[in-house]
Amino acid sequence: MNKNEVIESIKNKVEGGVLEATSQERKISVTIDASDIRQVAYALLERRSRFMIIAAVDLGMDIELLYHFDVEGKLIVVRTKISKEQNQIDTIVDLMPAAEWAEKESAELFGINFSAHPKPGHFVLSKDWPSEKPPLREPFKGVLPEQFCPVAESLMSTGMTAPMSPLMQRKRQEAGLPPSPPASFVNAKSLGEVHEAMKGAEFDKKAGYDWKKGKLRRA
Amino acid sequence: MKYALFLGCMIPQRIPSVEIAAKKVFEKLDIEAIELQGYSCCPDSVVARLLDRKMWLTLAARNLSLAEEHGLDLLVLCNGCYETLVEANEILKHDPQTAKEIREILAKAGRKYEGKAKVKHVIEVLHDDVGVDKIKKFVKKPLKLKLAIHPGCHMFRETEGGGIWRKPKQFEEIVKATGADVVKNKIDRLCCGFPVMQVNEEFALKRNLLPKLAVYHEQGIEGVVVSCPACNVQFETGQVLLRKYGVRYNIPCLHIVELLAIAFGYPAKELALDIHRSPVQQLAQKVI
Repeated sequence: MNKNEVIESIKNKVEGGVLEATSQERKISVTIDASDIRQVAYALLERRSRFMIIAAVDLGMDIELLYHFDVEGKLIVVRTKISKEQNQIDTIVDLMPAAEWAEKESAELFGINFSAHPKPGHFVLSKDWPSEKPPLREPFKGVLPEQFCPVAESLMSTGMTAPMSPLMQRKRQEAGLPPSPPASFVNAKSLGEVHEAMKGAEFDKKAGYDWKKGKLRRA
Repeated sequence: MKYALFLGCMIPQRIPSVEIAAKKVFEKLDIEAIELQGYSCCPDSVVARLLDRKMWLTLAARNLSLAEEHGLDLLVLCNGCYETLVEANEILKHDPQTAKEIREILAKAGRKYEGKAKVKHVIEVLHDDVGVDKIKKFVKKPLKLKLAIHPGCHMFRETEGGGIWRKPKQFEEIVKATGADVVKNKIDRLCCGFPVMQVNEEFALKRNLLPKLAVYHEQGIEGVVVSCPACNVQFETGQVLLRKYGVRYNIPCLHIVELLAIAFGYPAKELALDIHRSPVQQLAQKVI
């Protein structure tokens, strides 16, 4: 089996597709959406893979999970991210029983919810450890300094450094000006261009902008 | 003279009296200024650039592409917008790799940047394109005022080979053209503290703004003229905020286009000078 076959077999099984794939001599790394983890596990089962371990990394706003598998002596790393707000991923224990302890360990140390895990509960910490304080989980923290978050949020949502206040709109009208200047936030097409530009520059990801809520992700 | 007018964020959202004065002054001086439609923040040359350089360059290039669509150069009323747009143009001209990347992002957003539009500060347009002599002709009654000018940090930015005092000197000549007396001081280059406010308000007020106000007060300055709305906001809200530290100053601060509008005889009410948080209206009433 060559490296590309593994990537292709995962691609064929995963609805959301493989977000990124790299391969080295004895290692293949694929990045997937967290909702596809069970489909990837199915694909690897068909390749007679062996589950090895899950490594979790706290990224501030998200937790990255790196599932390690062995397929015919090659290391397959499946990378995925879950947001701290959602904090949940499907279990693969029913497909690969060896994942039971690894999921329990990540759950206990990082506070992640592996939904439908058959035997959740205490694993490595002392029994009196408070469950609401997973020791390796850090407080929610974005990349941008907190004092600049309002500017970043306004830039993302309106294209301006601050939103136009109703008071200033009234003052403008009293002074004989239109309530708003002809800026991007008064024109849907222009604002769409600004948003596309932000996405292209990947500032939305860096700032942790939630497009549905129109806000930065916060603790 | 025809330009695409870039209003930016601060003027329309914090001091729209500058927008009003600019339109009146431009009309008087035969400057046709077409308001740029659908523009975004320049974005600002300090915070936004630090937040993300690629985002900063992409939005700046998009704004420049809007002016290119009209086949016009950009006229800006703000030092920060000036620095961002000039510098973005220069970076994209001299760094082909970055330019390629930014163009690709813009293409996906449906825009094309070609680097054809130049950027001019209102000071350059007034001085180089209109001329001080022409400005003098429209001064109704010479302003007998003792004024200080605060050029602002970004006004000292020049493209390679330019003299950093070029624009500040032009600024001074324009203010003098109104008949006002420009009182010199040695703190021209001290920042007003506006960008520092977002990190350390007390430091910005006490170490940046206060020394300037103290000198102006000592010199008997009747008003401070700026060419940047961010500096204007800092001088005005800063004086209010300094009261909590037991410091009371009430020095009027106004934009150069407002000073010209006053000198050209427009009544204070027509200029909506009451929007200011410093006694600019009283200053205008004193001289009109």
